[in-house]
Amino acid sequence: MNRPQTNIVDRPVSKGKAEVNISSFAFLFSEMIQYCQDRIKAGHELEKKLSDMGYSIGPRLLELLCVREKNSKRETKLLGILSFIHTTVWKSLFGKTADSLEKSTEAEDEYMISDNNMVVNKFISLPKHLGSLNCAAFVAGIIEGILCSAEFPARVTAHNVTVEGKKFPKTVILIKFNPEVIERNI
Amino acid sequence: MNKKYDKLGTDVFNKVEKISSELFTLTYGALVTQLIKDYEDIEQVNIKLEQMGYNIGIRLIEEFLAKSGIGRCQDFIETAEVIAKVGFKMFLGVTAHISDWDSDKKEFHLIIEDNPLIDFVELPDHYKHKLYYSNILCGVIRGALEMVQMKVKCTFVKCALSDESTSEIKVVLEEVLSDLIPVGYD
Amino acid sequence: MIYSLYILNKAGTLIYQNDYGPTEKLSHNSYIRLGSTFHSLHAIASNLSPVSGSSSGIELIETDTFKLQCFQTHTGIKFYIIADPNHPGLEEILHGIYELYTDYVLKNPFYEIEMQIRCDLFDYKLSRLLKLTTD
Repeated sequence: MNRPQTNIVDRPVSKGKAEVNISSFAFLFSEMIQYCQDRIKAGHELEKKLSDMGYSIGPRLLELLCVREKNSKRETKLLGILSFIHTTVWKSLFGKTADSLEKSTEAEDEYMISDNNMVVNKFISLPKHLGSLNCAAFVAGIIEGILCSAEFPARVTAHNVTVEGKKFPKTVILIKFNPEVIERNI
Repeated sequence: MNKKYDKLGTDVFNKVEKISSELFTLTYGALVTQLIKDYEDIEQVNIKLEQMGYNIGIRLIEEFLAKSGIGRCQDFIETAEVIAKVGFKMFLGVTAHISDWDSDKKEFHLIIEDNPLIDFVELPDHYKHKLYYSNILCGVIRGALEMVQMKVKCTFVKCALSDESTSEIKVVLEEVLSDLIPVGYD
Repeated sequence: MIYSLYILNKAGTLIYQNDYGPTEKLSHNSYIRLGSTFHSLHAIASNLSPVSGSSSGIELIETDTFKLQCFQTHTGIKFYIIADPNHPGLEEILHGIYELYTDYVLKNPFYEIEMQIRCDLFDYKLSRLLKLTTD
């Protein structure tokens, strides 16, 4: 019965095929949000707190996905890293690619990834007084963590955007790169 | 009895919507990391994880009952089987097994060979035998059973991250809260 | 036609109520009173059993103008719906509602357990479920 555990670095990298009940994630995420709520002073701090928790995941996930999906090669181009997030990162976290990746028409340094059915928000109804909150701030934090550790520092936030004919808004992850990243890419 | 619940656990798990276990595992890791930051004392982290698990357990039990269709158990032996074969399978996609019953049949050990919470995790030496990384599971079991009128105490006796073995949780039935059983269910 | 849905917590307090048919609107307090009255009747009914041990309380009330079907969970929550007397499949509908409750109420971090349910997604999914089953 006592199977000796090999050291973690000697074990093969997980193939990422294992699954758990979506409810297990939802209950955990819900409890995390309640924990954050108890430790903040004002409503708007909730997004910051969730984003900070996500941020710590970014570098680990980047490492894991680079080893598994890209033979340890890293993206060095801006569009390359964005499409890596839209496709590879989304697939590994949510089992599907994001719905779109667009460049902002208003600002040179902004990009948007949208998801019409954000998995982390699947069971969440916002109370009236927190209507503009988007708990995918946690996902925004993960993306920010990935971008920063891939040397594309950016500020990443999550927003609710109303879609015509739909009762519930979609999530838009807004990525605003630091000036040096944009300069480097011109 | 074993076979019946093995099959039920598999059937229910096949039916529920699933998500990559990596999102779940990384999110849990971010939570533990945050708690270690917020509470300097590791014992406080263990306590907080157990409490958060309890909060999850008192909610999760409803989903367990609604989606597994399981009714009231005959005795604590059956309860143990249901937790190990249906509960663990339904939410985490793995089964646990039972050992070390005491002579009164009020105490058993739950042995978890594949604990998805600890994928990718290696504890630094100074946390070994101090941090019960998966202590949230103890809380979930306690909370869930309390809602079906069983007061239990759950503790980690072995943790795969500290000991060279599988993880092991001791579950002790302290009291059956019979006056809280809803009318018509005794 | 489903007329109304009531959800009572373990203590018998009304935590959710909604009307779906062309029913007469009552005051908020009247709904609360109706809920706690049903809770008491259910408890009395379970003690009326002539054979030893209590019964399961009220599962179904049938009249010539409506039918009331109740489902009590093992944790003590009661879901009951009021429908027209010929409505089929009420037990399945109640089970569907229980599942929606576990998804869209209990997994919502902004819902406080045992309290009033105010969750947009729950309302939305409920109205879809009830429309689906009445058509």
